[in-house]
Amino acid sequence: MTDTQADVLIDVRGVCKTFANGVVALQDVSLQVRRGEVVCIVGPSGSGKSTLLRTLNALETISSGDVVVLGQSVHAARVDLDRLRARVGMVFQSFNLFPHKTALENLMLAPLVVSRTPAAEVRTRCEALLAKVGLADKHDAHPAQLSGGQQQRVAIARALAMQPDIMLFDEPTSALDPEKVNEVLDVMKLLAGEGMTMCVVTHEMGFARAVADRVVFMEAGEIVHQAAPASFFDAPDNERLRGFLGQILK
Amino acid sequence: MQASSRRWWWYGVYLAVMLAFGVAVHAAGKRVDYSWRWERIPQYLISDDGTEMKAPFDGFVSIAADQKSLTLKELKGGRTQVLSGFDDLLVGDGDLVFQNDPLARKRGWVAGPLTIGLWMTLKISAIALLFSMLFGLIAGLGRVAKNPAVYGLATSYVELIRGTPLLVQIFIFYFFVGTVLKLSAFTAGVAALAVFTGAYVAEIIRAGIEAIPRGQMEAARSLGMSVPQAMRHVVLPQAFRKTLPPLAGQFINLIKDSSLVSVMALTDLTKAGREVVASTFSPFEVWFTVAAMYLLLTGTLSILVRRLEKKLAHD
Ligand SMILES: Nc1ncnc2c1ncn2[C@@H]1O[C@H](COP(=O)(O)OP(=O)(O)OP(=O)(O)O)[C@@H](O)[C@H]1O
Ligand SMILES: [Mg+2]
Repeated sequence: MTDTQADVLIDVRGVCKTFANGVVALQDVSLQVRRGEVVCIVGPSGSGKSTLLRTLNALETISSGDVVVLGQSVHAARVDLDRLRARVGMVFQSFNLFPHKTALENLMLAPLVVSRTPAAEVRTRCEALLAKVGLADKHDAHPAQLSGGQQQRVAIARALAMQPDIMLFDEPTSALDPEKVNEVLDVMKLLAGEGMTMCVVTHEMGFARAVADRVVFMEAGEIVHQAAPASFFDAPDNERLRGFLGQILK
Repeated sequence: MQASSRRWWWYGVYLAVMLAFGVAVHAAGKRVDYSWRWERIPQYLISDDGTEMKAPFDGFVSIAADQKSLTLKELKGGRTQVLSGFDDLLVGDGDLVFQNDPLARKRGWVAGPLTIGLWMTLKISAIALLFSMLFGLIAGLGRVAKNPAVYGLATSYVELIRGTPLLVQIFIFYFFVGTVLKLSAFTAGVAALAVFTGAYVAEIIRAGIEAIPRGQMEAARSLGMSVPQAMRHVVLPQAFRKTLPPLAGQFINLIKDSSLVSVMALTDLTKAGREVVASTFSPFEVWFTVAAMYLLLTGTLSILVRRLEKKLAHD
């Protein structure tokens, strides 16, 4: 391995997660993501993909193991979680835009409140981000006035407004009408092209094949297999993965 | 066409029922052999009695030649007081007067006891409203807190207050808390109402916060906001819109509940009504008038809140 340790932005080491109701969502999961890498996580429903992603910014606690993000142990007692989360953007399946604020205000809120950057600077940056996701004309629209695809693009821009080092996506296109999926995937491709470090939980195999540096297959709370897209899709050397691919590519 | 004429018919029904009700009330009034004296009421709302200037101490009066000012010389002591700017003199030159005797009168319109009572009710309700918002917000946030001490304290407050009658609480505030902390009747009354209403506001705010999807808090936290920041900028503004109608209802209750403080030495609208009844022997007219004045307050509040709701719905 030629990479230095500093290039590993996400280091998940033997993480287990059991929910209060006894459901075991993660079993001894280990995963490393290096700077600039795009990792896609696929797997059947309930396999623990969302749970894994949410442990990365401590939206979910862990039962054992360790998660090191940007050099900090996320689940340690004395970590400044707010500061760490500001550097890790997250995009949700259900957008979770702030409905009482306009698109531009959605972007500007966190930079103004958290980083206390001057308003004029924040505005310029956020307007540029909205233009980047193709919504320059929607500054003043409220989320309810936007289509699902537009809302998700605002949500991506909102996460980018904090100038994160890492972006996490949890099934960003699953709640969209089929014809809106590509406008969101295109924005994500753009980001990947710019060298953003990304973890993407997705069912879009076309996207994973085209954009991912590595594809991770999860089943029943375990990482069963991971490989570069070419070998992952074309020559899967794992029995359970072949079963999964056979199911979804049918 | 069909639908609109049916609508008019129902408006007609509404008017007819209301009219019948009015007639019934009127007839009932006739039956009890009661002489209605509505003409006595206005003077208790507003009168042209003017204001009297009273003697600050015992003493002798001397009136200036132009009758525009008078001087009061203290009987046992060296103080003198000059009064001017009055319209009518009520004493003569050289008169001996005692403390609080009327000396002169300034003409003009003055508020009658019912209006003063209305103002008192408004003042009590407004101050209690502000504090009940504060108590309710704090306790409401406590009710959704994870910290067992905070949650326990907030829950005890809400259950204690909601489980006991307001009148009993008012007595406790007046006789116990008020005595221990040396509160005036006004402060004790406002405190009792604010603490009482705050418990209900807390539950409304808790329900409002819980109605906001969890994803909102998660999105805010994932951007690096702290819990207080996320509450202040994301959750509470949305919860506030959802809770505006029930909050308005609670504040209308507050205005009505404030009539219970009349058991203290506080002349609010209800107490003023009782006093006016005692001096006019016209209970029917007075209580109808008092009811109308409460309606004026609660109706105004309703309209203001509806405006605010419309405004919030637009932006
Ligand atoms: N808050 C929770 N409490 C209890 N169990 C949970 C909770 N969240 C998730 N689970 C369970 O944990 C397991 C993993 O869930 P997770 O959401 O991570 O799966 P997923 O791979 O993201 O599935 P999907 O593709 O449907 O989103 C599931 O069995 C789920 O029912
Ligand atoms: Mg999921």
